[in-house]
Amino acid sequence: MSTKDTPDAREQLMALAAQFYDQFDEGDVPRMQLPTRTKSNIKYDEDKNVWVYGDRTSTRTAKTVSGAEKLLKASYAIDFLVQQIEQGRSSTLRELYYLSESWDLDEAQFASQDESNSLIEDLEIVSGATREDFHMRPEESGATIMGPLELREQTRRGEREIHCQKDVGEGGYQIPNNPDTIDFLDNDADFVLCVETGGMRDRLVENGFDEEYNTIVVHLKGQPARATRRITKRLHDELDLPVVVFTDGDPWSYRIYGSVAYGSIKSAHLSKYLATPEAEFVGIRPQDIVEYDLPTDPLSDSDINALESELEDPRFQTDFWEEQIELQLDIEKKSEQQSLASRGLDFVTDTYLPERLDEMDVL
Amino acid sequence: MTSYQSRLGGGEGVAEELAESQRSISIAEFFEKNKHMLGFDSGARGLVTAVKEGVDNSLDACEEAGILPDIYVEIQENRDYYTLIIEDNGPGITKEQIPKVFGKLLYGSRFHKREQARGQQGIGISAAVLYSQLTSGKPAKITSRTQGSDEAEYFELIIDTDTNDPEISVEETTSWDRTHGTRIELEMEANMRARQQLHDYMQHTAVVNPHARFELREPKNHFKYERATDQLPAETKEIRPHPHGVELGTLIKMAEATDSYSLSGFLQEEFTRVGQKTADSVIDQFRDREFGRGMSWHPPEAHEEADIEAAVTEAVSNKGAEATTEFAETIADRIAEHDRIAHHQVEEIVEDVGDDVQVEYGTTFGGTVREKARDAAWDAITAERESDLYTLVDDATSTRKDDAVLQAIAERLADKFEPGDPHRVTHEDLEKLVDRAADMTEDRDDATFGDTARENIVTALWEAAVRVPDEPPHISGIGDDRDAASNLLEAMRETDIISPPTDCLAPITDELVEAGLRKEYDADFYAASTRDASVHGGDPFIVEAGIAYGGELEDGGKVDVMRFANRVPLVYQRGACATTDVLKDIGWRNYNLDQPGGSGLPNGPAVIMVHIASTNVPFTSESKDAVANVPEIEHEIELAVREAARELKSYLKKRRSMQQRKQKQDKLATILPEMAEKLTAVTGEEELNIDNTLARIMNDVLVERERENGSVEVIVENNDDRNADLEITEIVSAEPETNGDAQVIEMDGEWFIKWEPTVESGETETLSYDLPESAECEISVDGVESEKLTVDTDQ
Repeated sequence: MSTKDTPDAREQLMALAAQFYDQFDEGDVPRMQLPTRTKSNIKYDEDKNVWVYGDRTSTRTAKTVSGAEKLLKASYAIDFLVQQIEQGRSSTLRELYYLSESWDLDEAQFASQDESNSLIEDLEIVSGATREDFHMRPEESGATIMGPLELREQTRRGEREIHCQKDVGEGGYQIPNNPDTIDFLDNDADFVLCVETGGMRDRLVENGFDEEYNTIVVHLKGQPARATRRITKRLHDELDLPVVVFTDGDPWSYRIYGSVAYGSIKSAHLSKYLATPEAEFVGIRPQDIVEYDLPTDPLSDSDINALESELEDPRFQTDFWEEQIELQLDIEKKSEQQSLASRGLDFVTDTYLPERLDEMDVL
Repeated sequence: MTSYQSRLGGGEGVAEELAESQRSISIAEFFEKNKHMLGFDSGARGLVTAVKEGVDNSLDACEEAGILPDIYVEIQENRDYYTLIIEDNGPGITKEQIPKVFGKLLYGSRFHKREQARGQQGIGISAAVLYSQLTSGKPAKITSRTQGSDEAEYFELIIDTDTNDPEISVEETTSWDRTHGTRIELEMEANMRARQQLHDYMQHTAVVNPHARFELREPKNHFKYERATDQLPAETKEIRPHPHGVELGTLIKMAEATDSYSLSGFLQEEFTRVGQKTADSVIDQFRDREFGRGMSWHPPEAHEEADIEAAVTEAVSNKGAEATTEFAETIADRIAEHDRIAHHQVEEIVEDVGDDVQVEYGTTFGGTVREKARDAAWDAITAERESDLYTLVDDATSTRKDDAVLQAIAERLADKFEPGDPHRVTHEDLEKLVDRAADMTEDRDDATFGDTARENIVTALWEAAVRVPDEPPHISGIGDDRDAASNLLEAMRETDIISPPTDCLAPITDELVEAGLRKEYDADFYAASTRDASVHGGDPFIVEAGIAYGGELEDGGKVDVMRFANRVPLVYQRGACATTDVLKDIGWRNYNLDQPGGSGLPNGPAVIMVHIASTNVPFTSESKDAVANVPEIEHEIELAVREAARELKSYLKKRRSMQQRKQKQDKLATILPEMAEKLTAVTGEEELNIDNTLARIMNDVLVERERENGSVEVIVENNDDRNADLEITEIVSAEPETNGDAQVIEMDGEWFIKWEPTVESGETETLSYDLPESAECEISVDGVESEKLTVDTDQ
């Protein structure tokens, strides 16, 4: 995602190290300030139509043991990243976690991969660069694309031109870790359909939905990775295609939609690169559960908590979501995408999606 | 029990035969057979008890003479026997007294005194002498030299158990290097198995007697317990008994022995806190019990059949028409002035009016006439009792009672009062009367009268009855009459009387409790508390508590408990003691001590001491090992211990915070140099000196948050050398509950809790509130420069 407006990552990391150095040198306490990364501190950016961090900040300082440990780890990580950038090499987030095991000081080692991941996020926020700029990549998420789209990918083994229906198997085209290495060449698509589950994605492909309706089917594979969200945004922005999201009918799936459309809380600093605010939600809506009389499971306590928490989430404060979530709390039921199969295997492609997409003016 | 009925056996003289073998036994002989009652039940324990009795005696003797005690205890082992020597620097005992003090049980000056003292019965040391002679057959050897005398007296004696009198085998004068003091040497069968208890006793005694110096020499050990203060315990004053604190036997004895003549005089002379008014109240109560009250009735009204005037007129003959009319009319009028009237009041009116009319008309109204008139009037008044009783019962019972039932019980009650009788009733009489009437009514009229209803009726009747003016008997009469004495005792107990004075007590004082702990225990922390005097029964008491914690005290396992009564350590029967019970019931976790299961004695390197000073410590038995479970005393023990424990808590809290601070300092001292080194490497700059940074971090104002079970504590620790005036705001996502020292404002579904504490340099302030566990909170702190402030609310 090396976008042209990101500053030079190495410079930024060195500047952060220099800041800590100067703080020590002046007898001051080393610290860095970060936006508070909680639900209560995200706000809607009207210009970019995405949710970004608000004004509340929290400070990591060496005054507390845990703060000092974080800054120590940050110093070690900066040292490592600067060398990696200078040497033109790259590593995965998981490798960084394991690499810390080799650092001589126990206090500098990461306790879990969550910790190292969130440190990289901190460094992204403070430096204004992205982890790709640090030459850090996530593990392949395995998300795929299938549809009438031709593209060119810059791989480590040279350029490849690929048609996402004709040149791929049934599994589709696998989205690379850094989708900014892709150029779109040509397409016959009318819209982009993001699908949560592998089962539904396979059903759509088997039923030829992508061919019949000129659809680019993006398989989200659960909570979408940054690369999946980035390519979705590019398909929308660069090819001017409408994006719709099709998930299960439960609170966790609404969050999947939310991260495609609004960006996630953890990476709100990157929302402008990753979020597709125009993306719309197809279903399964609680309303569909009622209208199509779908097979259901009862809501668990954690489902109810999640729904209630979504009602308070600024990203979900729209008439549509309030109505749907309240309906779901009322009926106390949830359904999976594949529950549509109770009406026959073709019901989703012949009836449900055409009806819904027609309603949404996508078809 | 043996049968004394001689006729049953047929033969004559069996009773005489039996009587011959019956004789009174001496007190000494009794204790010879019941050694355990005085703590001499085994060789191991006997030795400890003997030391204890000897040391207690010595301490009392020294203090009475105003001498700082210097007490030497030696235990020598010679095969199966042990020789115990106890020596003090007391005032000495005169030649005449020595045999009695050591050779006669129950000889002492203190038994009848109401005063705080170690020993009371005068059993202790002579019991030790008795035990020694019983087990070794050897006499006790006593040396004593009084102040100013040239020579010491030396005695060897045993107790004649038949007569409870000393039997002296050697009596001579001798020279002694002490200028004054007493020494006793006892040989006894014993063993040192109770060594631990002996050491505990000596150490504990040293703790509560910081003004004394002790030395204990054993066959293999030698201990010294030094003096911590030159201040002798305050002299205690003897007080007269308090009316709430005497028992029947004592009261009878006092009544027999008093110089007073009247009951009122006796009460005021012999008891503390009794003046004229209190004596009158007691006597009133006594009258109610001794004489009963006179039941009163409504005088008959105009429309009723009974007519007092007519009745009285008829009862009077040959006194002249005018005088008779005047007599009868005035009596009737005076009676009519009363809403209710009792027999003795009628009598009074008749006497009054009789006197007046007599003067006015010159006609004698003698005793017989008056009696007749009184009876006639009383007959008229008591002719109709039912409606009176109905009104009383109706008022006293709940409205749900059926009218017919009330009528029935009123009728039955009325039957119990014979018309014409004076109707004297005691409270007890009324209870019985009401019970019977209620039972009958329940039986016959299918009604229920519960305990409360019956009590209410009794109370109503009792209140309707009028106290009688009868003169109480003289005090000597009460001494002879057990029932009257019992009534007097009850009257004394029922009367409200101010608590006894407390200057008869000499607490150790919290300062000296602490000093005592300090000199005997090498701990990190000491706390002590002395409560104000309180009263149980008629005896004042004071409870003191002390805690020593940490240092060289043994960790792992329960804390040590030291119990004291009037400065005497209680060594045995810990489990039966009220002190232990109270300690076990305290929630020690609240005081930051480990308490497995949340009850029982806490764990930890600590000693907890409790001292009860009283004119009469209630023990569970004669051996004086355990304090009885008296609620007033238990309550005071709890308060005293909690007071000391609160200090311990803040100490432990502070210590924990110090430990955390130390840990933090250590941790930062590892982390920050490494970080500085890394940064130097990355930036390629010169090596860093981070001392200033470290100093700045450690001299901070630290704000931490602890959340547990819905309660939140914000702890502010000022490590700076200046006071901090802070403005602390918690922003929370659910409605908090605060305790008033905070200001709470709601805004858009968020609550802002604001405090403005001033935290002094080196001090810690805790702000607390309640918040549901699911709620989020965020803190902001103003009033201190950001570089001096550390907010650590991660946990």
